Amino acid sequence: MEFNLQHEVNKNDGAIVIRNLVKKYDKHVVLDNISLVAKEGETTVIIGPSGCGKTVLMKHMIVLERPTSGEVYFRGQRIDELSENELVPVRTQYGFLFQGGALFDSLSVYENIIFAIRQHRKITDWKEVDELVKDRLAMVGMDGYQEHYPANLSGGQQKRVALARAIALEPYIILYDEPTTGLDPIRSDVINELILKLKRELQVTSVVVTHDMKSAYKIADRIVMLHEGHILADGDAEHIRNHPHPVVQSFIHGRLSEAELEALRHGGTKFKTQYNPEDFEPAEPV
Amino acid sequence: MMIENIGARTIESIGNIGKFNRFAGRATSASLQSCFHPKSLPLIWTQMNVIGVRSVPVVMVTGAFVGMILAINAYDQLAGMGLEERLGVLINIAVVKELGPVLAAVMLAGRVGGALTAELGTMNVTEQIAAVQSMGTDPVKYLVAPRVLACLLLTPVLILYADLLGILGGYFVSVMHFGINSRAYWDFSAQGVELWDVCIGVIKGFFFGAAIAIISCYKGFTCREGAQGVGEACTEAFVGSFISILFLNFVFALVAKAIYSTFWTVQPLL
Repeated sequence: MEFNLQHEVNKNDGAIVIRNLVKKYDKHVVLDNISLVAKEGETTVIIGPSGCGKTVLMKHMIVLERPTSGEVYFRGQRIDELSENELVPVRTQYGFLFQGGALFDSLSVYENIIFAIRQHRKITDWKEVDELVKDRLAMVGMDGYQEHYPANLSGGQQKRVALARAIALEPYIILYDEPTTGLDPIRSDVINELILKLKRELQVTSVVVTHDMKSAYKIADRIVMLHEGHILADGDAEHIRNHPHPVVQSFIHGRLSEAELEALRHGGTKFKTQYNPEDFEPAEPV
Repeated sequence: MMIENIGARTIESIGNIGKFNRFAGRATSASLQSCFHPKSLPLIWTQMNVIGVRSVPVVMVTGAFVGMILAINAYDQLAGMGLEERLGVLINIAVVKELGPVLAAVMLAGRVGGALTAELGTMNVTEQIAAVQSMGTDPVKYLVAPRVLACLLLTPVLILYADLLGILGGYFVSVMHFGINSRAYWDFSAQGVELWDVCIGVIKGFFFGAAIAIISCYKGFTCREGAQGVGEACTEAFVGSFISILFLNFVFALVAKAIYSTFWTVQPLL
């Protein structure tokens, strides 16, 4: 899919538009001239090997990281230059599911979910809030856990509660950072189904960062592959499956390339030559 | 190569000083705003309980031992000159002006500062601080301001507790153990210790408290990932707080002396 946005970005271009984004830490370039659009109502999945900059790219979408150069737009509004105070009304339209859940461990599940509501809305009717918490927890299958603390929940349960927290303010867009990492296949599928359910029921735009291809194929309207700070492939699941680039094929099938295998074998041989078992005399039988 | 390293370290140090100053500025402004924000009051109250109330026993024990040890060590010198009844002046001036505030603050830097850095550092590593930010809340306002205000307001109170127990500890050893006349002990103490001495010790508490909280929170916010990162941040927070307490105490000694000699001595004329 070609990306071409030379004109002034407006609301109709997409929920999130990233243009020529560069991110450097000291001299290390993490993201190199990335341009990307997350369309309204679609689920955009960003895949790529660990450490390729997927999470950093996602954090730019909510300005938890500021770009070294380039632009980030949310519904046509440039957000990367806004101050922290100016970002408040923007961020309340986001839901962010962090990789480890990032639940506040000093607060109960109930308090975690009402955190954003408490911060940004004046609560007059606590019954209504209780109902909202119950509803959000029911959506992720965790109703009844209101008084529990995060430390008493399993990893999968924490992610589901974190998801309930992310949708507490009925966000316009939800960002998922590796939602299935560290979960068993069944729990992973629960999260995938929840992502699809939220898209169906709340009509939200979603951006998902993952390296779980099974999950990517299931939930994605569009898949973007990131590699060494560049976008290597961009298209629907079929496009990615048939992409001719060997790195894409290697990644989606979870196989090393011939060159990488050779390097690994070579390294192994070197190791062997240093500590060749034949150099050692066999132990005397007792 | 060496010059290059020195240059790089200098640039890094200046950068870190700049970052700390910016953080301190943000923390101060957020704390001022929080004073007038009703939503912040429960957060400040919670931190006051954690930081202040739970530190009372340890600060009282510190104060008591300081007073008792001073009495034991100073008795022989004064008794040799027949001035043992003036032991109270020496103990109480030292306790209320210097040892009470400084040792109480050092104890708080260890107990409270370490806990603040570890808590915020863990929150940072587990992305809880980023989560606060992602939900449109300023983490400095939500996490740092209540801790700074609680430390700022309660360190002087804790210093008073340390002073009180230091005075009682000194009295206990002097009167009960060394048999100094109780009336003479208090009379000489009252003559020697002025309100000014107590005030200067308590005023120091505001600055010590703010320094401990801001340094500890900064170290928590900027700590590196992993258990080692959190551990290093706690150590750096304590060392930083300790040095700041000593430095602030030195500055206070200079300023207080200048103020005292300028204004306090003319007080009877006014």
